[in-house]
Amino acid sequence: MLVILPVFILFFSFFSSGKETLFYLFDTVLLDYTLNTVYLIFLTSFFALIFGIFPAWVISNYSFKGRSFFDIALYLPLAIPSYIMGFTYIEILSFTGPIQTFVRLNFPSLSNILNQDYLQIEVLGIILGLALYPYVYTASRISFSMIGSNYINISRNLGLSNFHSFFKVVLPLSRPAIFSGLFLVIMEVLNEYGAVKYFGVNTYTTGIFRSWNSFGDVNGAIQLAFILLVVVLIFFLIERLSLKKSRFYYNKNTQLNIRYASSRIKSFFYWIICLIPFGLGFFIPFIFILNNSLDTFYLADLSKVINLTWNSVSVSSIASLIVIFFALFFLYVERISKSKINFYISNTISLGYALPGAVIALSLMIIFRDSLLVGTFGLLFFAYVIRFLAVGKSPIQSSLEKQPETIDDTGKNLGLGPLSLLQKVHLPINKFALISAFIVAFIDILKELPITLILRPFNFDTLATQTYEFAIEEMLSLSSIYSLIIIVLGSLMLLILKNYIDKQIDVSKS
Amino acid sequence: MFLKVKNLVKNYSSEFPIIKDLSFSVKKGELISFLGESGSGKTTFLKCLAGLEKANSGLIELNDKILNDHKTFESPQKRKIGFVFQDYPLFPHLNLEKNITFNLKKKYEKNLDYILDLTGLKFLLERFPYELSGGEQQRACIARALIREPELLLLDEPFSNLDSTIKESMREEIYKIIKKTKTTTILVTHDINDALNISDRILIFKAGILQQYDNPVTMYCEPANCYCAEILGDMNKLFHKQDTYYVRPERVRVSNKKSKYKVHVEKCYFQGKEYKVKGKQNNEIWHFFSKNPLEENKTVYVDFGEKDLIYFDPVCKNFFK
Repeated sequence: MLVILPVFILFFSFFSSGKETLFYLFDTVLLDYTLNTVYLIFLTSFFALIFGIFPAWVISNYSFKGRSFFDIALYLPLAIPSYIMGFTYIEILSFTGPIQTFVRLNFPSLSNILNQDYLQIEVLGIILGLALYPYVYTASRISFSMIGSNYINISRNLGLSNFHSFFKVVLPLSRPAIFSGLFLVIMEVLNEYGAVKYFGVNTYTTGIFRSWNSFGDVNGAIQLAFILLVVVLIFFLIERLSLKKSRFYYNKNTQLNIRYASSRIKSFFYWIICLIPFGLGFFIPFIFILNNSLDTFYLADLSKVINLTWNSVSVSSIASLIVIFFALFFLYVERISKSKINFYISNTISLGYALPGAVIALSLMIIFRDSLLVGTFGLLFFAYVIRFLAVGKSPIQSSLEKQPETIDDTGKNLGLGPLSLLQKVHLPINKFALISAFIVAFIDILKELPITLILRPFNFDTLATQTYEFAIEEMLSLSSIYSLIIIVLGSLMLLILKNYIDKQIDVSKS
Repeated sequence: MFLKVKNLVKNYSSEFPIIKDLSFSVKKGELISFLGESGSGKTTFLKCLAGLEKANSGLIELNDKILNDHKTFESPQKRKIGFVFQDYPLFPHLNLEKNITFNLKKKYEKNLDYILDLTGLKFLLERFPYELSGGEQQRACIARALIREPELLLLDEPFSNLDSTIKESMREEIYKIIKKTKTTTILVTHDINDALNISDRILIFKAGILQQYDNPVTMYCEPANCYCAEILGDMNKLFHKQDTYYVRPERVRVSNKKSKYKVHVEKCYFQGKEYKVKGKQNNEIWHFFSKNPLEENKTVYVDFGEKDLIYFDPVCKNFFK
């Protein structure tokens, strides 16, 4: 109940507040917000699909130099928060940035062409596509691996070229997986605050913040949050319906028939397909931020850097622990009770991931505005749990589902009660999944911005909030050191995660 | 009686009861095969015995202790029943030794060497489940169940995941282990050979009720109804004295002399020791055995003793449909 509390509160507040604000919103900004949000979703989805699907196909099916490196590296953009990606690219492309400076010095005639205003929604779409494509990449990579080579061999045997096999067989079979990856991308775009605000694109999320912070209009913020919630719900229903319609029950084929690139040109082509998303999505912004950090290192207040790193790491760690505790609790109760009600409860609380951070934060502020909880870590952690419970649940759930019910029955038959079954059987068997869940939640909370901005205790900053504040005040180079730490921490965690996922695959041999 | 089951009822919805009314008993040390089709409720019955499912009503009594009746429900942790599941669920994070001694009371630890000798697992103790073959995993599950000296051992389709080459040897091995330890056992299977080869008694279960419960020879030769007859092997249908009778293929002999029964041979399969013949007698498909190959599309005479004929009520076939 507590987890879906924000939805109830928004629902209640929406219908109990006056309708004048709603009509005012309709007359003024709502169309603008809607069009911008939809256009941004379209652009981001398009680029996330391009950057995600093709490398996943190449990595799943071909062997070429650098394949194992790219298999890890293509996940790394997840370590860069989209707002940092946005700030960084704008600086790279700016008049004083490296590209324009280089062109001005070497090709003065071209400099005018490049001297543009890059704070455009289209540029933001590409940047968000680069930051978020790993969701599509991960889903496609798993799906392509599961489909394996049999279907491709059959379609080739039936006369289809590699190109046609991909579009006529592999893509349709992977549609549900790709769509669930895309759904996460769309949810992230709806949740996005830092980058859209920096680019001056008016979406629902920026509207909520503006109504509330700039105009002190709580009613307006509530109305917008509610409309955003309806938009989220529509996408959620579309996702469920489309999954229902196109869920294929194909035989999993673990025999991957990885083909060697037949020529150097093909090998180079595959390499380029992987290099573009990795280079643009991680390598270039990372090198640029690293360079900026080294340049401004002498200006940085080291004790503050250490302090904020500690804040971020401790808050993310504690919140992640709470998240996996609740995730495990709900999943285990659902498993041992086998009751439908618990199944529905466990699934309903996963909806929290579809709630934008700003909406969660706003609802909690409404609920607790007169209580002592405002501005405490308790409320902040509560909001993180609502938002990231599904993130923590996902790896644990898929690991638990791999264990047959007879494992539980055997445990009971050998004399174990529910708690000792959890302690002696499920915790050790699912330990890699628990660690994976912790890491995934940790990375997300480390990068999180809107909830932290609204609900953090007074005078409490994290790496994310500091990066955002410097960037918004046009002091991008000063924010680099904080961005760098987020990226390094996130990348390290992702590398550890990849290692654990491989180990998990080993355990599942049994 | 060591195990007593009386009027056991189990259903998930009242419209489709899985066990309508089941009563039978087992003597100490007996090996009973519980035979039925897939989805007939065999595993559910075992789970009711082990306490992993709660029966809706009925009595389960083991070694004079009531495990289940209208006011008692002994939890699975407290029942002294060993359960070997179909998919050999060994704990993947523990090696073989730790799997076998998992949650084991101290008083049973002395059994370890004996059980390991018996199951031939002595040299595999350090191995993890994924390093064991299907047969080894299965023996490990049996060892894990037997080390606790269960009063009753439940085996749920223990041979179904094994390939035919090792299935027979495993069956013999397990039979020896069970008989050596004198463990009362219920073996759930849908394989007739499992049931006929190693059981003291066979219980046939269909449509939620017990159809027949007897020793293998009686079950085979004197089936209670056409379902029991068919589940245990082929039946040849014939008309005799204006009625329908059945005869087992093993009872049919190829005759050199002219006889009342002519069979048109359709196929003759070589089976090593003898030939299995498929043919048509009076438009009914027949199977029987011959020491010599029979020419296809030729007619042969066959014979059998009158006492080998089996008679069922004519409504029997329709009833089980």
